[in-house]
Order: sequence, then C-alpha cells, then structure tokens
Amino acid sequence: MISARNPMKDKVAIAGAATTGFTPHNTTRSQASLAAEACIQVIRDCGLTAADINGICGSAVPAAVMQATLGVPEMTWFANPSIPFGSQVAAAAAAVHAGLADVVLAYHTPYRLPWNTASALKDPFRRGGMATPGAGAGPETVAGVAGYTAWAARYLHEYGAKKEHFGYVAINDRSNAARNPAAAMKTPLTMDDYLGARMIRWPLCLLDMDVPVDGADAFIITTAERARDMPLPPVLIQAAVLGMIDRNEEDQTPGLHRHGQHVVVEALKAKSDFWTDGMDVFFPYDGFSFITLSWMENVGLCGPGEAGGFIEANWDKAANRILIDGRVPVNPHGGALSEGGSQGSGHVREAVHQLQGLAGPRQVAGARTALLTPGGFFFNAQGLTLRKG
Amino acid sequence: MVTDEALASVFAGTPIDHDSAAHYRGRLERRLLINRCEDCGAWRHPPRPVCPGCWSANVRPTEVSGAGTIHLAIFLHQGPPAEGVDYATPYPVVTVELDESPGLRFTSTVVGAPDEAIRIGRRVRLDWTQRGGAPLPVFRLADEAG
Repeated sequence: MISARNPMKDKVAIAGAATTGFTPHNTTRSQASLAAEACIQVIRDCGLTAADINGICGSAVPAAVMQATLGVPEMTWFANPSIPFGSQVAAAAAAVHAGLADVVLAYHTPYRLPWNTASALKDPFRRGGMATPGAGAGPETVAGVAGYTAWAARYLHEYGAKKEHFGYVAINDRSNAARNPAAAMKTPLTMDDYLGARMIRWPLCLLDMDVPVDGADAFIITTAERARDMPLPPVLIQAAVLGMIDRNEEDQTPGLHRHGQHVVVEALKAKSDFWTDGMDVFFPYDGFSFITLSWMENVGLCGPGEAGGFIEANWDKAANRILIDGRVPVNPHGGALSEGGSQGSGHVREAVHQLQGLAGPRQVAGARTALLTPGGFFFNAQGLTLRKG
Repeated sequence: MVTDEALASVFAGTPIDHDSAAHYRGRLERRLLINRCEDCGAWRHPPRPVCPGCWSANVRPTEVSGAGTIHLAIFLHQGPPAEGVDYATPYPVVTVELDESPGLRFTSTVVGAPDEAIRIGRRVRLDWTQRGGAPLPVFRLADEAG
C-alpha cells in the first residue's frame, strides 16, 4: 500500500559526506581500514569527536567493529542493513527522527570481492568476505548479477531498443568521471569503444557493468536542528522509500511494467514536494547501464522503451554527456560505471556535495534539490529526495 | 525416499531447506515439481511455506509438464566452472514461462540447439541431463526432432 504520510520530512539532515576515493584494483587494505579513513574524515569535517557519535549504521563492516576501531565510547543504536545505500540512509534517518540516536555515523565500503571480480580471489584476505552467489549450483540461474542482463534482453525484445542506448549511459558516466578526482575510470569513452567491449553475458558487456573498486564513503546523519550548528550546510532528507513487490525473485517478477521501481516512484512522489521538473541533479542507479534507462522511464522523464530517444534529445554534445533540458546532469560524479561500483553510496555522497556547493568542477550552479533512485528492480529499488537546508 | 543428508550431499552447493527439499527429491526421479496451493489452485515458484495468495499451508509440490515459452534469454561468455558448461559457445540461460499458469517461470538452459535459435518467444519442452550425479532439468526447443 502506498502512503503519502511522511512525518520525518525535512526533519533529519545529512551534515557531511566524505570519501577515500575509489581504486579499480586490489589495495592492500581491509574494509575496516577504508571505512575508518572516511569516517574519521567526515567526523572531523562536521566538527565532531568520537564522543559525539551515538549511532552507527554501516554495510559490510559490522557496527561493533567500527565502534571498536574508532573508539566511539557509547552508542544507543546501531544497525547493518543490506545494501544499496538507501537502506543505511533510511534506517539512520528514522533512528534519528525517532530519538534512538542523535548523531549517526553511516558508512559503506565498496570492496573488490570474488562475487564482483575474479581477481579478488588472488588475495587470500578477500576470499572470506562474501560467498559467490549460487556457487556450486551451476550457472543456470538469473538470480543475482544475471538478473539485469536477463531483463535487459527482454527490454531489447519488447521495445526494439538498441545496444547503443545502453552505451549512452556508459559514455555519460565516463565523461562526468573525468571531472571527479575520486573516480576510478577517467579515460574518455567512445561509442566504438563501447560496442567493441568484451561481452560478459549477452546482451551486456564489460562497460555495462559497474567497476569493482576499493574505497569507502562516510556520512553524518543528525537532526536538521543539530546540523545547522555544524560547519557545513545541512542537506535535508525530504523522503526515503525502499520499494518492493511480492514477486521479487528475478525470474518471477511480473515484467518491465511492474517491479520495485514502480512502488518507489509512486511512494516517493507522494511523500516529496518536488519531482523531475523541480530537480537540479539526478542520480539514477547505474550498477548496470540498463537500470538507468529503466529509472529514467519510470520516474516519468519519458515513456516505456523511450529512454534511448530521450537521451539523444537531451545530449550535451560539447561535454559528451546527458544534460536534461540543458540543465540537469545525470550522475555528475561518474556513477557506478566510472566513479566505481559503490552500491549507491557514491551517488548519495555526490548529491550531498552538490547540495552543499562542494562539488568543485562538477558543481551544478545553485543546486537546491536532488532526486536519487539507488538500486535496481527486485529487492533493492530505492528512492531519496534531498534538498538544501 | 533418500535421507535429508543424502539429498543435501547429491545437491552439494545448492542451498536446500525444508521448503525446497521436495522439489529436489522430485529431480532425483526426473520429475519437475512446482508448488501448487491445494485450496486456491495458485502455482508459485520458488517454493514458499504457505500460499502467498490465500495463506493456506496446504501447498503441494506438483509435477508440471515443463512445456512453455522462453520469456528471458541470455548467453554467458564467462562464469564459474561447471560440469557440461562451455562458455565458449556462449552458454544459454533461459527463463521459461510454464504452460501451467501465467507468470509461473522456471530458469535453466536450453540443450541441443544453436544459440541463434534460442530466442524469446520460442516454445520449449522439458528434458533432463546430469550434473555431479544429480539430474538437472533443462529445456529443448519444442519443434526440434528427437
């Protein structure tokens, strides 16, 4: 059931965001080491000390390990929800709003593991991090990483879309990443490069899939009131949605017309004061290129199957990237395909920096609102609306 | 009936629980069993402990014909090593919408057909191969001889 109820609206803020930057090869660092670096940075940026933190909300590195690593004296709330990172933002915001914690440290460590890059197996300290989905059962499945490939094939079949349409997403991300010092992949990309890239699972190739990286992002989430007393401009969390439908298995989901994204869009729109006409910067998820096309269609920028044409009509030739209505960039940090596969934390961090005016050469002049849609279709479609405080 | 230990051992690497065990026992007899609610008649896969439509616990693993239509089709150029799998082909993986019910789907591979013939919309029928001593349900294009 979709509800417009949103008592948390604009009451909780992201007070700061920090990153280690992303590396597209195996570093000699643990996830806790990367997370600690980003966490210490963001705590300092916000003018805080360890003793000010009383909530921790992370991904793979357990909250208890993070608390022990950083010497946070006392916590009253902690959680480790599953990624994408909209889960961490939503949980932390709800905890702050409810009074379970006052200042939450939220973090995620994109990390090269056997499930996303076979070369992670060469490092014995990475083998235990995460099991390969379906290992031992054989490849006859569309669960996990193959799911988006399967529905991308269906998309081509139903709409007669072209492979080049996926390529636009990869090129847009790469052009944007060139202006982001944190990005893993900055070499310019042409459509010929894209079409010639190594096929992994037809119809998706290497450049349709996010880049496995080592790195970390960290955030301070607190009340809007408290954030106003901190050094950086507060970014208000207007609404958060983690959307899902009952048939959420990759091969049983009803179709391109009905999955988690449709729930996210309907609910987020109902809970927010602005939508695509009022957004200054847009962060559709791009862990697979196809997911971006799907979000563009489902948020209503264009009709089903029309994302390719929409991008062509909103292509900034000079910058070789998407600029919606000549104004709104899409994943200006380079997204998962070029900044690095961050399961959404990079998108949230860039949105925060854009709304704080801290995005450097990527800054969207006067950005006041950001629409974020982290995640995919099945059990991980998410939405966030953020606005400048 | 094979013991739970033997079943888990034959399908080592596949997570089997009390809800899915009957489906895998069916594979040992080369029968494709899909849960059907005895009260409201709804088919659902993968196996759940109750019928998601009417909450009846009276769900019965029921043999399906395995005939259906290809709904999703991808071709793997790489992947984890597995018996009988050649990624150089590349290797097809299909999700088939089964004739028993709209939206009821089962995912496996297609054998005995060139990749260019394996397309969304093609009719298929069930067949069986073997992997690691366990029968594996697979599909063949329906209009293929043999």
